[in-house]
Amino acid sequence: MEETRRTITHYERELQDIKQNLLYLGALAEKAIANVTASLLERNSDLARQVIEGDAEIDKLDTEIEEKCIRLMALRQPIARDLRFITTAIKINGHLERIGDMAVNIAEKVLQLNEVPQLKPYIDLPRMAEIAREMIRGSLDAFVREECELANRIRRMDAEIDTLNEQIFRELLTFMLEDARTIHRALLIMQVSKNLERIADHAKGMADMVVYMVTGINVRHQWPGDTTEDICNVKRDERE
Amino acid sequence: MRGKLFYKIFGTYLVIAGLAIGIVGILAGNQIRAKLEAQVENELMANARIVDLYPMKEIQSRAEEIARIARARVTILDREGMIVAETDRDAAALGGHLERPEIQEARVRGRGTATRYSQTLREEMMYVALPIPKGQEIAGYIRLARPLVEVRKSVEEFTGILLKSFVIVLITSVIMAFLFSKRLTSPIRDMEHFTERLRRGEAPGTLMIRSSDEIGQLAENINYMVDELQKRIAALQEEKAKVEAAFSSALDGVLILDPQGRIETVNRGMRTMIGERYRDIVGKTPLEAFRNIGLQKALDQYRSGGTLVSQVIELGEGEPVMLDVSITPVRGVDAAEGKTMLVFHDLTRLKKLERMRVDFVANVTHEIKTPLTAILGYVETLQEGAIDDRETARKFLCTIARHAERLNRLVEDLLTISNTELGEIHFSFESVALSGIAQSVLHMIQQKADEKKIRIASAIPEDLPLIRADRDRLSQVLINVLDNAVKFTPEGGTVSLSAAPAAGSEVVVKIADTGIGVPRDEIPRLGERFYRVDKTRSRELGGTGLGLSIVKHLMTAHKGRIEIESLLGRGTTVSLYFPSA
Repeated sequence: MEETRRTITHYERELQDIKQNLLYLGALAEKAIANVTASLLERNSDLARQVIEGDAEIDKLDTEIEEKCIRLMALRQPIARDLRFITTAIKINGHLERIGDMAVNIAEKVLQLNEVPQLKPYIDLPRMAEIAREMIRGSLDAFVREECELANRIRRMDAEIDTLNEQIFRELLTFMLEDARTIHRALLIMQVSKNLERIADHAKGMADMVVYMVTGINVRHQWPGDTTEDICNVKRDERE
Repeated sequence: MRGKLFYKIFGTYLVIAGLAIGIVGILAGNQIRAKLEAQVENELMANARIVDLYPMKEIQSRAEEIARIARARVTILDREGMIVAETDRDAAALGGHLERPEIQEARVRGRGTATRYSQTLREEMMYVALPIPKGQEIAGYIRLARPLVEVRKSVEEFTGILLKSFVIVLITSVIMAFLFSKRLTSPIRDMEHFTERLRRGEAPGTLMIRSSDEIGQLAENINYMVDELQKRIAALQEEKAKVEAAFSSALDGVLILDPQGRIETVNRGMRTMIGERYRDIVGKTPLEAFRNIGLQKALDQYRSGGTLVSQVIELGEGEPVMLDVSITPVRGVDAAEGKTMLVFHDLTRLKKLERMRVDFVANVTHEIKTPLTAILGYVETLQEGAIDDRETARKFLCTIARHAERLNRLVEDLLTISNTELGEIHFSFESVALSGIAQSVLHMIQQKADEKKIRIASAIPEDLPLIRADRDRLSQVLINVLDNAVKFTPEGGTVSLSAAPAAGSEVVVKIADTGIGVPRDEIPRLGERFYRVDKTRSRELGGTGLGLSIVKHLMTAHKGRIEIESLLGRGTTVSLYFPSA
């Protein structure tokens, strides 16, 4: 009896450990976005290079977390909720790693942008970065606290980012039409914007997985807003 | 309510009494019965001995007589066992008696005895039989039988006495048990109530039990323990209150993590330090609560090394707070509990001051270097031959003088500031009429204003209360502010000086200009040493960047204050509040 209980707590500790590791990875990814945004706004190439170098740590942690998840699956053979937790963790891990890569992509563009005069003051880009970070943070919060509603709210934030991305695209288009010399810079900015938009997509993917983890319902290919509104409640009613 | 103890004691009494009486009853009863039976037997036997006196025939005829004397039923049997005479008529018809055990015994041994239950009499009967001799032969048998009524009655009587005494013992033992259990349980119950109150945390007082036996001793021990316990509790509570007071009032932030690494306690200092950004952090791990890589790294380092860790981290965004975090284990009674304490020390202010100091040195160096470079440059040119060209030399000397003058002003300003800060300037405060000083100051500034075609308006009411000020320093304050006003007002503008009594026995002097103004978020920084809104422009205008800083210091020394309002492009109003005399 004693033996069993100890195994359970040990098992739980392993799950906890994975959670904390993911949070740390999330913090790293968030920091990378914050730094890359600052490097763009302050035209600080050192900071951008720091982001590129920092990706190694993200990659290392990514591998570590994946190994931990796989080992846990092999040794403990989790079922039901725990299994959903582990699969979610693996997916979130992947998303975060990709987010780190995208921060690197942006950093590379920033390095190029810092070589040339600033095309225009950046207003929407920092907002996009801020929302993207909020989405990452929110998804991880929802993951740790297993909160379906929060995850759902995060999923809906993606639309905001898409709007901003399109707005930036249109704005840059006018720049390019007016003056061909701005094309290079405008394209770079566009890529920054695109990468931020994809970061948000990944953050939404994480939130999708959290909804799946809590409710067991796959919402990945559904538009957040209409049907997903009461997903959390539907499941709760069933439970009661 | 009778406790269990009562039943235990009562039961014990009962068992002992019952056992004693039972054993006595059985043993003595048997003894009595045996004695009485023997007596009856002897009596019957003695009566039966008549056979030794009379022959068969005589006995046969005297049966009734014998029966009367012996108080027994007499049966005379012939040698075949047939009844020849029978005193009991009811039994007369009965047949052969030779098989009866008493007869058999009499025939063989010469006397026979038997006790039997008689169906006819429904009574235990004792039979005694003797053979009636006739020479060497047996002529017949005489049998005397007597019911054992007396014996039975005697035994019953005895049993009755025993039962009575048992009842008495029963009643006595109930009373005894009741009294004894009460005597025993009442102090125990007192103790029970006492400890119950203690358990509920009420003040239990002292246990009053007057008894010198073990229970009294126990009560005394309990009293001692309670006393000791309360002393300890009081000491602990005091200790706790002290720690809590220190904990909550400390400016440093303290977090305590439980063994699972979750935040258990947050003190007020911590809450102020981290502000509104991080609420509801109790119950979360630091990573969940703060998402801070630096903090997590410090924690990881602490956990892997288990030693005190001190590290500087940056928390929050926008305006992050710089925190020095030290991590130490909390040593409880249980060593395995493994709580962790994180103490945060706010370095934000310190770092800011440090940066200001560095800035100051850099600024001073820069400010001094600029005129010095110019002076050195011109001197070098002069040395290289320009001195021979009188016209150029004069121009150069003028420039050198101007820069030297500027250097001098700078050093003087710096001296003023440092002296004010060190408190080495001697102020001679007196009641001063503002109008007089204002006149002379305006006169001094007039020339500069005229150069820029700036109109200077002055409106100081005649009945303005006197103010408490040092004449020279007051002039310096006014000059500095007016000089700034003129400096930053474009040609054709207006600078106005006005004064009025203000609330709280103060006099406010307002200097307003129609100048370039200051952006709103720069206003709080005016007064910082060497702070310039527009660096190049200000220097062109010959400012040292110390003017307002000096004003601020002097106003503080006057126990007054300075307020600045400004609209970008519209002008600035500086309000100087002096205490009235």
